[in-house]
Amino acid sequence: MIGGADGDGGIPHSEILGRFAEAAIGDDADVLAAARMELVGALGDAAMVDTSAIVATFTAIDRVADATGIPIDAARVAPTAGLRGQLGIDSFPSNAP
Amino acid sequence: MSVVSYDNAPFPVREALSAAHNRVWRHISEPGTWFTGENRVAIANETRNAPGCALCAKRKEALSPYQVDGAHDDLGALSPGLVETIHRIVTDPARLKQDWVEGLIDAGLGDGEYVEAVGVVCMTVSVDTFNSAAGLEPPPLPDPMAGEPTRSRPPEAKPGDAWVPWIAPEDAGAYDGEVFAAASSNVQRALSLVPDGCKAFFDMVEAQYLARHEMRDFGNEFRAITHTQIEFIAGRVSALNQCVY
Repeated sequence: MIGGADGDGGIPHSEILGRFAEAAIGDDADVLAAARMELVGALGDAAMVDTSAIVATFTAIDRVADATGIPIDAARVAPTAGLRGQLGIDSFPSNAP
Repeated sequence: MSVVSYDNAPFPVREALSAAHNRVWRHISEPGTWFTGENRVAIANETRNAPGCALCAKRKEALSPYQVDGAHDDLGALSPGLVETIHRIVTDPARLKQDWVEGLIDAGLGDGEYVEAVGVVCMTVSVDTFNSAAGLEPPPLPDPMAGEPTRSRPPEAKPGDAWVPWIAPEDAGAYDGEVFAAASSNVQRALSLVPDGCKAFFDMVEAQYLARHEMRDFGNEFRAITHTQIEFIAGRVSALNQCVY
Protein backbone atom coordinates (compact mmCIF):
# COMPACT_ATOMS: atom_id res chain seq x y z
CA MET A 1 0.00 0.00 0.00
CA ILE A 2 1.40 3.35 -1.00
CA GLY A 3 0.47 5.97 1.57
CA GLY A 4 0.59 9.74 1.57
CA ALA A 5 4.05 11.22 1.66
CA ASP A 6 5.16 14.01 3.96
CA GLY A 7 7.24 16.89 2.64
CA ASP A 8 8.43 17.64 -0.85
CA GLY A 9 11.12 14.95 -0.93
CA GLY A 10 13.41 17.34 -2.76
CA ILE A 11 10.93 17.88 -5.59
CA PRO A 12 9.56 21.43 -5.63
CA HIS A 13 5.82 21.57 -4.90
CA SER A 14 5.50 17.79 -4.90
CA GLU A 15 2.94 17.88 -2.08
CA ILE A 16 0.69 20.15 -4.12
CA LEU A 17 1.26 18.16 -7.31
CA GLY A 18 0.57 14.88 -5.52
CA ARG A 19 -2.64 16.19 -3.98
CA PHE A 20 -3.81 17.39 -7.37
CA ALA A 21 -2.95 14.07 -9.06
CA GLU A 22 -4.83 12.12 -6.40
CA ALA A 23 -7.86 14.40 -6.64
CA ALA A 24 -7.83 14.27 -10.45
CA ILE A 25 -8.26 10.50 -10.52
CA GLY A 26 -10.63 10.51 -7.54
CA ASP A 27 -14.35 11.16 -7.61
CA ASP A 28 -14.81 14.20 -5.35
CA ALA A 29 -15.33 17.32 -7.46
CA ASP A 30 -14.92 19.66 -4.48
CA VAL A 31 -11.59 18.13 -3.47
CA LEU A 32 -10.42 18.39 -7.07
CA ALA A 33 -11.50 22.03 -7.35
CA ALA A 34 -9.60 22.88 -4.17
CA ALA A 35 -6.50 21.02 -5.32
CA ARG A 36 -6.66 22.74 -8.70
CA MET A 37 -6.90 26.17 -7.06
CA GLU A 38 -3.94 25.36 -4.84
CA LEU A 39 -1.87 24.23 -7.82
CA VAL A 40 -2.73 27.28 -9.91
CA GLY A 41 -1.90 29.52 -6.95
CA ALA A 42 1.51 27.92 -6.51
CA LEU A 43 2.61 27.21 -10.07
CA GLY A 44 0.19 28.96 -12.44
CA ASP A 45 -2.27 27.97 -15.13
CA ALA A 46 0.25 26.47 -17.55
CA ALA A 47 1.57 24.12 -14.87
CA MET A 48 -1.99 23.07 -14.00
CA VAL A 49 -2.66 22.31 -17.68
CA ASP A 50 0.55 20.30 -18.03
CA THR A 51 -0.06 18.44 -14.77
CA SER A 52 -3.57 17.57 -15.94
CA ALA A 53 -2.07 16.24 -19.17
CA ILE A 54 0.41 14.04 -17.27
CA VAL A 55 -2.34 12.63 -15.04
CA ALA A 56 -4.42 11.99 -18.17
CA THR A 57 -1.50 10.24 -19.83
CA PHE A 58 -0.63 7.86 -17.03
CA THR A 59 -4.17 6.97 -16.08
CA ALA A 60 -4.46 5.78 -19.69
CA ILE A 61 -1.04 4.11 -19.90
CA ASP A 62 -1.77 2.21 -16.68
CA ARG A 63 -4.96 0.87 -18.25
CA VAL A 64 -3.15 -0.19 -21.43
CA ALA A 65 -0.57 -2.03 -19.32
CA ASP A 66 -3.21 -3.66 -17.09
CA ALA A 67 -5.45 -4.69 -20.00
CA THR A 68 -2.67 -6.24 -22.07
CA GLY A 69 -0.71 -7.90 -19.25
CA ILE A 70 2.66 -6.64 -20.38
CA PRO A 71 5.60 -7.57 -18.18
CA ILE A 72 8.04 -5.03 -16.77
CA ASP A 73 10.79 -4.49 -19.34
CA ALA A 74 13.65 -6.94 -18.82
CA ALA A 75 16.21 -4.17 -18.39
CA ARG A 76 14.21 -2.66 -15.53
CA VAL A 77 13.38 -5.82 -13.55
CA ALA A 78 16.62 -6.11 -11.56
CA PRO A 79 17.30 -2.39 -11.00
CA THR A 80 13.79 -1.82 -9.62
CA ALA A 81 13.45 -5.04 -7.60
CA GLY A 82 14.47 -3.52 -4.27
CA LEU A 83 12.29 -0.46 -4.69
CA ARG A 84 9.28 -2.51 -5.77
CA GLY A 85 9.63 -4.70 -2.71
CA GLN A 86 10.18 -1.77 -0.35
CA LEU A 87 7.14 0.11 -1.62
CA GLY A 88 4.88 -2.94 -1.82
CA ILE A 89 4.46 -2.55 -5.57
CA ASP A 90 4.89 -6.28 -6.15
CA SER A 91 1.78 -6.81 -4.03
CA PHE A 92 -0.44 -4.68 -6.26
CA PRO A 93 -3.36 -6.71 -7.68
CA SER A 94 -2.16 -5.94 -11.19
CA ASN A 95 0.87 -8.14 -10.45
CA ALA A 96 -1.35 -11.23 -10.24
CA PRO A 97 -1.47 -13.34 -13.40
CA MET B 1 -17.60 16.28 -37.25
CA SER B 2 -17.23 17.58 -33.70
CA VAL B 3 -13.97 19.26 -32.86
CA VAL B 4 -12.22 19.60 -29.55
CA SER B 5 -11.72 23.27 -28.78
CA TYR B 6 -10.15 24.87 -25.76
CA ASP B 7 -10.63 28.39 -27.12
CA ASN B 8 -13.23 29.19 -24.47
CA ALA B 9 -11.28 27.74 -21.54
CA PRO B 10 -10.63 30.31 -18.79
CA PHE B 11 -6.88 29.77 -19.22
CA PRO B 12 -4.62 29.07 -22.19
CA VAL B 13 -4.26 25.47 -23.32
CA ARG B 14 -1.22 24.89 -25.47
CA GLU B 15 -2.03 24.37 -29.13
CA ALA B 16 -0.24 21.00 -29.29
CA LEU B 17 -2.70 19.56 -26.79
CA SER B 18 -5.72 20.86 -28.61
CA ALA B 19 -4.35 19.53 -31.91
CA ALA B 20 -3.57 16.12 -30.40
CA HIS B 21 -7.03 15.78 -28.90
CA ASN B 22 -8.56 16.65 -32.24
CA ARG B 23 -6.45 13.92 -33.85
CA VAL B 24 -7.68 11.47 -31.19
CA TRP B 25 -11.30 12.38 -31.87
CA ARG B 26 -10.78 12.06 -35.61
CA HIS B 27 -9.05 8.69 -35.13
CA ILE B 28 -11.93 7.40 -33.02
CA SER B 29 -14.50 8.59 -35.55
CA GLU B 30 -12.85 6.81 -38.49
CA PRO B 31 -13.22 3.15 -39.46
CA GLY B 32 -10.48 1.26 -37.66
CA THR B 33 -8.80 -2.08 -38.16
CA TRP B 34 -11.62 -4.27 -36.84
CA PHE B 35 -14.42 -1.80 -36.03
CA THR B 36 -16.41 0.72 -38.02
CA GLY B 37 -16.41 4.38 -37.01
CA GLU B 38 -19.88 3.83 -35.59
CA ASN B 39 -18.60 0.97 -33.40
CA ARG B 40 -15.64 3.04 -32.24
CA VAL B 41 -17.71 6.07 -31.25
CA ALA B 42 -20.08 3.66 -29.47
CA ILE B 43 -17.05 2.28 -27.57
CA ALA B 44 -16.11 5.83 -26.54
CA ASN B 45 -19.69 6.50 -25.49
CA GLU B 46 -19.82 3.27 -23.45
CA THR B 47 -16.50 4.31 -21.85
CA ARG B 48 -18.23 7.43 -20.56
CA ASN B 49 -21.22 5.39 -19.40
CA ALA B 50 -19.24 2.78 -17.44
CA PRO B 51 -18.59 4.77 -14.22
CA GLY B 52 -22.35 4.84 -13.55
CA CYS B 53 -22.80 1.04 -13.86
CA ALA B 54 -24.26 -0.58 -10.72
CA LEU B 55 -22.68 -3.98 -11.46
CA CYS B 56 -19.24 -2.37 -11.79
CA ALA B 57 -19.77 -0.55 -8.47
CA LYS B 58 -20.66 -3.85 -6.75
CA ARG B 59 -17.67 -5.58 -8.27
CA LYS B 60 -15.37 -2.75 -7.26
CA GLU B 61 -16.42 -3.22 -3.63
CA ALA B 62 -16.12 -7.02 -3.74
CA LEU B 63 -13.05 -8.89 -2.57
CA SER B 64 -12.94 -10.40 -6.05
CA PRO B 65 -14.80 -8.89 -9.00
CA TYR B 66 -14.98 -12.37 -10.52
CA GLN B 67 -17.42 -13.54 -7.81
CA VAL B 68 -20.12 -10.97 -8.67
CA ASP B 69 -22.44 -11.84 -11.54
CA GLY B 70 -25.02 -9.63 -13.18
CA ALA B 71 -25.70 -7.45 -16.17
CA HIS B 72 -23.96 -4.18 -16.90
CA ASP B 73 -25.93 -0.95 -17.20
CA ASP B 74 -24.94 -0.39 -20.81
CA LEU B 75 -26.19 1.77 -23.66
CA GLY B 76 -27.25 -1.21 -25.77
CA ALA B 77 -25.10 -0.52 -28.83
CA LEU B 78 -22.35 -3.12 -28.32
CA SER B 79 -21.97 -6.86 -27.71
CA PRO B 80 -21.91 -8.13 -24.11
CA GLY B 81 -18.24 -9.10 -24.44
CA LEU B 82 -17.29 -5.65 -25.61
CA VAL B 83 -19.33 -4.01 -22.85
CA GLU B 84 -17.60 -6.22 -20.25
CA THR B 85 -14.22 -5.26 -21.76
CA ILE B 86 -14.95 -1.55 -21.66
CA HIS B 87 -16.53 -1.45 -18.21
CA ARG B 88 -13.77 -3.44 -16.50
CA ILE B 89 -10.97 -1.44 -18.10
CA VAL B 90 -12.64 1.81 -17.05
CA THR B 91 -13.73 0.89 -13.53
CA ASP B 92 -11.33 -1.76 -12.16
CA PRO B 93 -8.25 -2.09 -14.37
CA ALA B 94 -5.79 -3.20 -11.70
CA ARG B 95 -7.66 -6.48 -11.14
CA LEU B 96 -7.82 -7.64 -14.75
CA LYS B 97 -6.46 -11.12 -15.27
CA GLN B 98 -5.14 -13.15 -18.18
CA ASP B 99 -7.97 -15.70 -17.75
CA TRP B 100 -10.49 -12.90 -18.09
CA VAL B 101 -8.97 -11.68 -21.36
CA GLU B 102 -8.72 -15.23 -22.71
CA GLY B 103 -12.34 -15.86 -21.71
CA LEU B 104 -13.53 -12.85 -23.68
CA ILE B 105 -11.55 -13.94 -26.72
CA ASP B 106 -12.72 -17.57 -26.43
CA ALA B 107 -16.30 -16.28 -26.25
CA GLY B 108 -15.94 -14.63 -29.64
CA LEU B 109 -14.30 -11.24 -29.20
CA GLY B 110 -11.29 -11.36 -31.52
CA ASP B 111 -7.89 -10.50 -30.09
CA GLY B 112 -7.60 -7.68 -32.64
CA GLU B 113 -11.00 -6.34 -31.60
CA TYR B 114 -9.98 -6.54 -27.96
CA VAL B 115 -6.74 -4.61 -28.55
CA GLU B 116 -8.46 -2.00 -30.70
CA ALA B 117 -11.11 -1.51 -28.01
CA VAL B 118 -8.41 -1.09 -25.34
CA GLY B 119 -6.91 1.72 -27.42
CA VAL B 120 -10.21 3.53 -27.96
CA VAL B 121 -11.21 3.18 -24.30
CA CYS B 122 -7.86 4.44 -23.04
CA MET B 123 -7.74 7.42 -25.42
CA THR B 124 -11.26 8.39 -24.37
CA VAL B 125 -10.37 8.03 -20.69
CA SER B 126 -7.30 10.16 -21.26
CA VAL B 127 -9.04 13.05 -23.03
CA ASP B 128 -11.84 13.00 -20.45
CA THR B 129 -9.39 12.86 -17.53
CA PHE B 130 -7.52 15.85 -18.91
CA ASN B 131 -10.72 17.86 -19.14
CA SER B 132 -12.05 16.93 -15.71
CA ALA B 133 -8.65 17.52 -14.09
CA ALA B 134 -8.42 20.97 -15.67
CA GLY B 135 -12.01 21.82 -14.72
CA LEU B 136 -13.35 21.75 -18.27
CA GLU B 137 -16.44 20.09 -19.69
CA PRO B 138 -15.72 16.88 -21.65
CA PRO B 139 -15.84 17.56 -25.39
CA PRO B 140 -18.79 16.08 -27.30
CA LEU B 141 -17.89 12.82 -29.00
CA PRO B 142 -17.26 12.97 -32.73
CA ASP B 143 -19.76 11.87 -35.34
CA PRO B 144 -18.74 8.51 -36.83
CA MET B 145 -17.32 8.47 -40.35
CA ALA B 146 -18.55 5.97 -42.91
CA GLY B 147 -16.44 3.13 -44.23
CA GLU B 148 -15.27 -0.38 -43.54
CA PRO B 149 -12.49 -1.51 -41.19
CA THR B 150 -9.26 -2.62 -42.86
CA ARG B 151 -9.19 -6.04 -41.11
CA SER B 152 -5.42 -5.95 -41.58
CA ARG B 153 -3.41 -7.98 -39.08
CA PRO B 154 0.36 -7.42 -39.02
CA PRO B 155 1.97 -10.72 -40.03
CA GLU B 156 4.74 -10.21 -37.46
CA ALA B 157 2.32 -10.18 -34.51
CA LYS B 158 2.29 -13.36 -32.46
CA PRO B 159 1.80 -14.54 -28.88
CA GLY B 160 4.63 -13.49 -26.60
CA ASP B 161 5.15 -12.16 -23.11
CA ALA B 162 1.89 -10.17 -22.96
CA TRP B 163 -1.68 -11.49 -22.72
CA VAL B 164 -2.34 -10.52 -26.33
CA PRO B 165 -0.25 -11.08 -29.45
CA TRP B 166 2.21 -8.30 -30.19
CA ILE B 167 5.11 -7.47 -32.48
CA ALA B 168 8.09 -8.59 -30.41
CA PRO B 169 11.42 -6.72 -30.67
CA GLU B 170 12.98 -9.51 -32.75
CA ASP B 171 10.08 -9.27 -35.23
CA ALA B 172 9.94 -5.47 -35.47
CA GLY B 173 12.68 -5.01 -38.06
CA ALA B 174 10.27 -3.60 -40.62
CA TYR B 175 9.04 -0.95 -38.18
CA ASP B 176 12.10 1.25 -37.65
CA GLY B 177 10.99 4.68 -36.51
CA GLU B 178 7.61 3.48 -35.30
CA VAL B 179 6.66 3.74 -31.65
CA PHE B 180 6.76 -0.07 -31.40
CA ALA B 181 10.17 -0.45 -33.08
CA ALA B 182 12.63 -3.02 -31.73
CA ALA B 183 14.15 -0.67 -29.14
CA SER B 184 10.80 0.35 -27.70
CA SER B 185 9.48 -0.43 -24.23
CA ASN B 186 6.85 -3.08 -23.60
CA VAL B 187 4.10 -0.53 -23.10
CA GLN B 188 4.93 1.00 -26.48
CA ARG B 189 4.39 -2.37 -28.17
CA ALA B 190 1.41 -3.44 -26.03
CA LEU B 191 -1.11 -2.38 -28.70
CA SER B 192 1.05 -3.33 -31.71
CA LEU B 193 -1.41 -6.02 -32.83
CA VAL B 194 -3.35 -2.98 -34.10
CA PRO B 195 -0.58 -0.71 -35.39
CA ASP B 196 -2.82 2.25 -36.26
CA GLY B 197 -4.32 2.25 -32.78
CA CYS B 198 -0.89 1.95 -31.20
CA LYS B 199 0.43 4.92 -33.20
CA ALA B 200 -2.62 7.05 -32.41
CA PHE B 201 -2.37 6.32 -28.71
CA PHE B 202 1.30 7.32 -28.52
CA ASP B 203 0.77 10.36 -30.71
CA MET B 204 -1.57 11.55 -27.94
CA VAL B 205 0.91 10.52 -25.24
CA GLU B 206 3.73 12.52 -26.81
CA ALA B 207 1.63 15.69 -26.87
CA GLN B 208 0.40 15.26 -23.32
CA TYR B 209 3.62 13.95 -21.76
CA LEU B 210 6.84 14.36 -23.71
CA ALA B 211 8.05 13.43 -27.18
CA ARG B 212 10.50 10.55 -27.27
CA HIS B 213 13.51 12.82 -27.84
CA GLU B 214 12.40 15.08 -24.98
CA MET B 215 12.12 12.35 -22.35
CA ARG B 216 15.84 11.97 -21.85
CA ASP B 217 16.85 15.53 -22.67
CA PHE B 218 17.42 16.59 -19.09
CA GLY B 219 19.28 19.73 -20.14
CA ASN B 220 16.07 21.32 -21.33
CA GLU B 221 12.54 21.59 -20.03
CA PHE B 222 9.62 21.34 -22.45
CA ARG B 223 6.66 21.87 -20.14
CA ALA B 224 5.64 24.28 -17.39
CA ILE B 225 6.73 21.61 -14.89
CA THR B 226 10.13 19.93 -14.82
CA HIS B 227 11.16 16.42 -15.83
CA THR B 228 11.41 15.54 -12.13
CA GLN B 229 7.95 16.86 -11.36
CA ILE B 230 6.53 15.06 -14.40
CA GLU B 231 8.00 11.73 -13.32
CA PHE B 232 6.82 12.31 -9.75
CA ILE B 233 3.24 12.82 -10.98
CA ALA B 234 3.50 9.80 -13.28
CA GLY B 235 4.69 7.62 -10.40
CA ARG B 236 2.01 8.94 -8.06
CA VAL B 237 -0.77 8.26 -10.56
CA SER B 238 0.47 4.75 -11.31
CA ALA B 239 0.81 3.98 -7.59
CA LEU B 240 -2.73 5.19 -6.94
CA ASN B 241 -3.92 3.10 -9.86
CA GLN B 242 -1.97 0.16 -8.36
CA CYS B 243 -0.30 -0.49 -11.70
CA VAL B 244 2.84 -2.60 -11.37
CA TYR B 245 4.14 -1.73 -14.80
